[in-house]
Amino acid sequence: MQLTPANRTSSLRGRLGAAACLLLTAGLPSMAQGESGATTQFDATALLYGERNRANVAEPTARIARRFADGQSLSAQFGFDVITGASPSGASPSGVAQTTTSASGTVTTIPAGQIPLNSFKDSRYAADLEWQKPFLRSFLSTIGGHVSREKDYQSLGANGKLSVDLLQRRTTLTVGGGVNRDRVFPVGGIPVGLSDGSTPAGSSALSKDVSTVMLGLSQVVTRRWLVGLNATRTFERGYLSEPYKVLSVLDGTTGLPSGQWMEKRPSTRERWSVLASSVYHLTDDVLSLSYRYYRDDWRVRSHTCDARYRRELGGDRYLEPHLRYYSQSAASFFRTGLLDGAPLPEFATADYRLGGLKSVTVGATYGFRISDRPGEWTVRAEYIGQFGNGHPGATVGIQRQFDLFPTVSIGSLLVGYSVEF
Amino acid sequence: MKRLMLPWHLLLLLLALPAFARPAPHAGAGDRFAPAFSLPGRTGTVSLDSLRGRVVYVDFWASWCEPCRRSFPWLNTLRERYADRGLTIVAINLDKDRRAADAFLEKFPASFLVAYDPAGKTAEAYRVSAMPSSFLIGPTGTLLSSHAGFDPRKTGAIEALIQEACPR
Amino acid sequence: MTRPLRRFLHAALLLILAGLASGCAATAVRPWDRDLLAQKKMRLTPSPMVSAVDDHIYFSKEGSTGGMDVVGGGCGCN
Repeated sequence: MQLTPANRTSSLRGRLGAAACLLLTAGLPSMAQGESGATTQFDATALLYGERNRANVAEPTARIARRFADGQSLSAQFGFDVITGASPSGASPSGVAQTTTSASGTVTTIPAGQIPLNSFKDSRYAADLEWQKPFLRSFLSTIGGHVSREKDYQSLGANGKLSVDLLQRRTTLTVGGGVNRDRVFPVGGIPVGLSDGSTPAGSSALSKDVSTVMLGLSQVVTRRWLVGLNATRTFERGYLSEPYKVLSVLDGTTGLPSGQWMEKRPSTRERWSVLASSVYHLTDDVLSLSYRYYRDDWRVRSHTCDARYRRELGGDRYLEPHLRYYSQSAASFFRTGLLDGAPLPEFATADYRLGGLKSVTVGATYGFRISDRPGEWTVRAEYIGQFGNGHPGATVGIQRQFDLFPTVSIGSLLVGYSVEF
Repeated sequence: MKRLMLPWHLLLLLLALPAFARPAPHAGAGDRFAPAFSLPGRTGTVSLDSLRGRVVYVDFWASWCEPCRRSFPWLNTLRERYADRGLTIVAINLDKDRRAADAFLEKFPASFLVAYDPAGKTAEAYRVSAMPSSFLIGPTGTLLSSHAGFDPRKTGAIEALIQEACPR
Repeated sequence: MTRPLRRFLHAALLLILAGLASGCAATAVRPWDRDLLAQKKMRLTPSPMVSAVDDHIYFSKEGSTGGMDVVGGGCGCN
């Protein structure tokens, strides 16, 4: 009997569950003693996320870690998320109501003037294992594995890191790397890029390989101030397009969409990012700042600024407001549509996440303990707004009337719990 | 790309070399006498001079030092075993706030002497290079050995040194 | 070598030299001065799980990835 995706998922979950049990039972006898010097840490988070008129996500995760007397530690993390709702398909709005048929056969009617959406419902399981071992007093090695699975996507990965402490542990140098092997198997097969999708799909599944290298440096500047710098290079190869995203074929004069074509992205992507971060301890409060610069060979460039201020309120309670600003420039092959009759470009996408955009996040975390009970709680509420140019220069005819980038409004609530025993 | 990366690889390797060096500024067995100290304790002053004639095991600790939580039960065991063989343990606390030290002592009680050095002057005199750090001092005040950090697997070796130093 | 990498390596070199220099100075952070840095809130990534949730959100909504994981600081014990 051929294993269906559901069966594969449950046997995978079974194996991961067994691994986690092994992890815990390995430590149980000594947990009872308490004098072995080993400690256990349990963390859990639950995220509720909603985009106005778009997607909604619920994502619980849990992690258990055991730290042994010799400094070694082993941890297992499990996550599950459910996403429902809709996201822009990449097609252009038109003056009349449009109907779209999603890959799974659902027919949706989009009112005139609105961005066409793809609706979906999917669930994803993820598991991570990590082992850390200190050696030769100054070194720390970390090895990890990752697996995640959803209806049309699977990811397997392994990563490793080596840190060395210098100068009485004021300076830490880290070098790390990781590889990921992903497989995409969309409903309806892999569409032929830059075609109308009518020709039968070439294959039902394609893979994507990702490799990452990271170099990091952290420096204790004063008793109150720690700074960090790191650079990451990622190389992706394989099927990098979004199988459900399309571009509208537009009439050169009127701008009316006459059809939809599948998008096509290059089969390789080289990404670079550099992150500078700082943590500063005032009298009681802590200020954290970071800046990240990113660029890739698709011509996407971005700047991310992040600031947090943790205000201690006494009694183990704190309030931490958070502000994040993100701005990105469009990929070289981003466009709002394909012109009917014009020569086909080599690559094209109308996915707004590869276009020019800005995101602003405003939120706050409240941390507290419940008196006499172990563990720390955190509750975080955030608003994310994504903005872009709804009326870019390269629009034709009726397209100019529509807001091609309505503001995306996202609200999220995250509850966290952490305990050590 | 590879050619350009080579000098950077060498630089990083060069910077990693100090990691292999022993923590140099650390009072080792080469010094003749252990630096004297006279610090407030839990019940009166604790001074090294007053302990002349005893084998003294000095341990520098702080409430925020995670390995110190594991070292305290072992120090209690040491006191039990060797106190009437001439060993005195002095745990010198380096917390800037005494309340943090007292909170730690409530969770991890100490049957041995505790002294307070919030300004870190004694730690400087002993050239402490890691937290925690311990020093074994002979009955005449000479420094017999020093240890940076606490590793539960190495306690056997330290006990052997104490047995050697303590008269039967 | 790309420009971001060159800039990063120059910044890293400056940071390392500054660290070495500060190590020689009388104001260097001593091992027993790590009380504030030992706190969990003083880590560069205080909550790896929350950071992972955020990475997932921003990876899904934006075009950039990476760069969020730095090791170091802390109590400097052992």
